[in-house]
Amino acid sequence: MNRSFVPWLLLVLALALAAVYLFPLYWMYVTSLKSGSEIFANPPTFWPREPATGIYPEVWTRRTMPVYLWNSTVIAAGVTAITVLFGTGCAYVLARYRNAWVDIGLFAILMLQVLPASVMVTPLFVAFNQFGLLNYPRTAVVLAAAAKAMPFFVVLVRATFMTVPRELEEAALVDGNSRVGAFFSIVLPLARNGILVCAILTFMSAFGEYIYSKSIITSPSLQPASVGLSGFLGPNSTDWNAIMAYSAIYVTPILAVFVLLQRRIVSGLTSGALK
Amino acid sequence: MRRFFAGLRDGVGFDILLVGFAMLFLLAMAGLPLIYNVLMSFQQVDMFTLGVLLRPLVGFQNYVDVVRQPEFWLVTRNTVVFVFFSMAGQFTIGFALALFFAQKFPGAATIRGLFLVSWVMPGLVVGAIWSWILAGDFGVLNAILKSLGIINSGIFWKSDPAFSLWAVIIANIWLGLAFNMLLLSVGLAGISRDLYEAAELDGANAFQRFWTITLPMMRSTIGAVLSLGLIGTLQQFDLFPAITEGGPANTSTVAQYWSWQMSFQLYDFAKGATISVMMLVLVLIASIIYVRSTRHEVRG
Repeated sequence: MNRSFVPWLLLVLALALAAVYLFPLYWMYVTSLKSGSEIFANPPTFWPREPATGIYPEVWTRRTMPVYLWNSTVIAAGVTAITVLFGTGCAYVLARYRNAWVDIGLFAILMLQVLPASVMVTPLFVAFNQFGLLNYPRTAVVLAAAAKAMPFFVVLVRATFMTVPRELEEAALVDGNSRVGAFFSIVLPLARNGILVCAILTFMSAFGEYIYSKSIITSPSLQPASVGLSGFLGPNSTDWNAIMAYSAIYVTPILAVFVLLQRRIVSGLTSGALK
Repeated sequence: MRRFFAGLRDGVGFDILLVGFAMLFLLAMAGLPLIYNVLMSFQQVDMFTLGVLLRPLVGFQNYVDVVRQPEFWLVTRNTVVFVFFSMAGQFTIGFALALFFAQKFPGAATIRGLFLVSWVMPGLVVGAIWSWILAGDFGVLNAILKSLGIINSGIFWKSDPAFSLWAVIIANIWLGLAFNMLLLSVGLAGISRDLYEAAELDGANAFQRFWTITLPMMRSTIGAVLSLGLIGTLQQFDLFPAITEGGPANTSTVAQYWSWQMSFQLYDFAKGATISVMMLVLVLIASIIYVRSTRHEVRG
C-alpha cells in the first residue's frame, strides 16, 4: 500500500535534481534582468528586486548583435548544407553493405570524428593561407566546420538508414525502379525524420562554433556571435548583466528549438550514438 | 561509355558516387591537413616560410623545443588532471543519474531529456555562465558555499592558481554530464528485466544486483562512454578562453589550448603543430578503444 508513494517521491527528487542542474541557465536569465548595481549585491539576490529588460536592446545595438547573429546563421546554414548533401549519401551506402571496404570507410570516419578542432586548426589555417582561402574567411570556416560535423552526422544518419527495412528497397527494384529512383522515392522519405533531426543538431552545434571562426576570421563584420561574445568576456569581466543578456539572446532560439524537438532529438541520439 | 552512365544510375557506380563525394571532401578537409600537420612538425615554420610547402626540415628539433619549454610539464600535468577528473565526474554523476532515471516514475523520460540542454548550448556561452557563477568576489557559488558553512571566505576560482584548473573542470563536468547519462541510460534499458527478477528471487540485494548484473552487462557501453568521454574532453576548447584563458601563469592551460596559443597568439605554427601531433597519439588510443566497442552491431 505505501509503495504507491514511492513514484511520487522519486518525481519530487527528479525535479529537485533537474532544478539544481538547470540552475546555471536560470542564473543567466536572472542576472540579465538585474541592474548594474544589483549584480554586485552581497549576498546575491535570487530574484531581481526590480526586473528590467532595458539591457537587452542596449546590448543588441551596442554589441552589433544583428551582424554577429547573421554571420552565425550564414556559417551554420553553410555547414548544414554541405554536411547533409554529402553526408546523407555516404551514410546510406555505409548502412547498405557490410564488407571489408565499408568497415574501412567506417573506421576512417570514426577516426575523423575524434580529431579535436584545436588539432586541425593549425594545419587548416596554414593550408588555407597558401591557397588564398583566407580572403573568404566565412567560406573557409564553413569548409573546416563541415568536415568536423560530417563524421558525427554520418554515424547518426547511418543508424537511421539501418532501421529502413532492406526488403522495401528490394521490392522497389523488382518493380522496375532504378537504384536512383529507389533511393529518392523509397529510402529517403522513410529516413526523412532521422535526417531532419541530425540536420538540426548539426545546425545547432555549428551555430555555436568558436575555434575555427576565432582563428580564421579577423574582420569583426564577418565574425559569428561566439567570437563577438569572447570579445567582451575574459577572466576580469565585470559587466555581467550585459554578458548574460548577450548569452540569453544567443541561446534562447537554440533552447526553444531543443525544447520543441526534445523527444525526437533524444531518440535520434540514442539510436545512433551507441548501437 | 553508356554502360558507365547506366552503372551510375543503376548499379554499384551509384554507391561509389555517393560515398565518393563525402570521402573526397573529408580527405581534402581532414585527411590531408592531418598529414600536413605531421609534416609541419618536422619543418621550420615562421613568418617567412608560411606561404611555401617545402620548408627547411629540422628533424626532431621542434619536439625537443616543445619538451624544453618551461611550461611543458605543467601543461602535461594539467592535461592529465583535466582529463581524468572531468571524465570521472561526468561518468560517476552521469551513471548515478542514469540509474536514478531508470526507476519507474511519472515524467522520468521527459525530465531526463531536460538534462540534455547543456549539450546543445554553445560552449562559449556555457563558459560565460560558469565564469560568472564562479566569480571570486560576487559569484553565486561562493555565496552558496558560504551560507552552507562549507567555506569561510570566498574562493577566487579563476585567479587562484590552486583552483583555476578546477573552475574549468567543474564547468566541463556540467557540460558533459548529460551525454554520459544519456548513453548509459540506453545501455541500462538494454538489460533484460528477467535477470533482475531472477536475482531478486534468489535473494540478491540491490548492491549485489548492481555488481553482478548491471556492471557486467554494461561492459561494452561503459567502454564506449569512457572512450567518447576521453575524446570529448580532449576536444574541449571553448571553456578555456571563456573562463580562465589558461591563466594565471599557465596553471589552467591544457595541451589543446596550449597548441592553439602557440599557433595563433605567438604565431609559432611549428610548435603548435608539434603539440597537436603529440595529442593525436592520445586521441588515437582512445578511438581504437571506441571503434572496438562499437563492433557488436546488428542490422535492425
